[in-house]
Amino acid sequence: MLSQVRDICHRFGISESVFKGLVDIQLQDTVFVATEDVMSFDLVRPMRRGLRFCRMFPRSVKPTTFAMQVLGRSATRNCIDVDNQTARQLVNGSQVEIDAGPDVENGFVLIRCQGFVLGTGLYKRPLLKSQIPKYRPVEE
Amino acid sequence: MATRKRFPAEFVERYSRFIPDFDDFTQAMAAPLPRTVRVNTLKATREKALDWLSDLEPEPLPWWELAFKVSDEGSIGKRLEHFLGLVYVQDAASMVPALVLGPKPGERVLDLAAAPGSKTTQMAAMMDNSGLLVANDFSRTRVRGLVGNVDRAGCLNVAICRMDGIRLGRAVEGTFDRVLVDAPCTCEGTIRRSGEALGRWSVAASERFGRLQKGLIVAGFRALKPGGRMVYSTCTIAPEENEEVVAYLLARYSDAETCEIELEGFSMRQALAEWKGVWFPEAVASCRRILPQDNDTEAFFLACISKKEQAC
Repeated sequence: MLSQVRDICHRFGISESVFKGLVDIQLQDTVFVATEDVMSFDLVRPMRRGLRFCRMFPRSVKPTTFAMQVLGRSATRNCIDVDNQTARQLVNGSQVEIDAGPDVENGFVLIRCQGFVLGTGLYKRPLLKSQIPKYRPVEE
Repeated sequence: MATRKRFPAEFVERYSRFIPDFDDFTQAMAAPLPRTVRVNTLKATREKALDWLSDLEPEPLPWWELAFKVSDEGSIGKRLEHFLGLVYVQDAASMVPALVLGPKPGERVLDLAAAPGSKTTQMAAMMDNSGLLVANDFSRTRVRGLVGNVDRAGCLNVAICRMDGIRLGRAVEGTFDRVLVDAPCTCEGTIRRSGEALGRWSVAASERFGRLQKGLIVAGFRALKPGGRMVYSTCTIAPEENEEVVAYLLARYSDAETCEIELEGFSMRQALAEWKGVWFPEAVASCRRILPQDNDTEAFFLACISKKEQAC
């Protein structure tokens, strides 16, 4: 497992067993995760394998929204649960004030709604800033 | 009879020849298409997804437990459950090709003309996010949509290619357990969703697409392992893009054979035996046509083809 993936798992308390049967590779500044069969397919050169897991920036590693939605379901740390109304605001790119409790550290967090991971946010107590990419706006 | 007038005279003359209940057909084609969604089991259970959709009064479709008709209010694309990838908006008939193909977890599957990814994401879920699913499309702009949908659905078993399908078929000869060729077509079957296809309708367009489709069905068949299974489908009615394409493959490959197609609770009609005085091989009769008046869907054509095991 790549160190960036291990670090993200550690921050969010994601069990490494989630990655059973999956392979991670780094291409330039991005880590991709896919099944072993996808990663070993070499008869042609795919333009994309599996999901983008995270992107490396000079001072941080940002987990992607769509990878966290599927691989972050078992997260136990640094998660903030929001109601539907707040979830919609965050998907639309807003920032909200939120008391996440003493266990949540500043920095990247997973935003959850009704048990589903919406994506990532940047938490600097008490402000939660959405890191969810611009999508079509959801109805608020 | 009144709805016949909405269609070009040549369209009516051509298709009333082999659609016996043609007025029912034109009435269904002129009616709005019911909105249907598929639960994405890579993200949610059926029950959880239904909780999210409850205000849209989801009504289960009788032939697949993950398909639902929902009310027309608002745009599903703007709902949280859509963003979360819990549901995928997909016409009911368009869910059938993947169900007939039946990909299993751990298999190697090729979707030769995959964009925008409704069937790719459906198959990725049927494979339980395991094995290999190669999703290919030639169009750069359409591939962008494919990537977005594969991301949203949370597919870890998909490799996306942007290649000419015919070249891809040659490069991966004998590799795949299952292949879906949901071929680009004139989209006559989608007229009830958008009038666009009717605006550019012509017999010449069907003949043009027929040539491309013959190349793609051969490419898909070449990519199959012996003993493998392929589904060829289109959302169009023209025999030039359907029965003629299947007959072309059967005439060239003696190891290609058609299989019976059935989906309990979903009505399908037999393919044509003859078109413009030319009789198709008997095996073409196993192909199926989905007509809009039978299940309140778009129109589709399906062929299920297997590649014989090599003799020892």
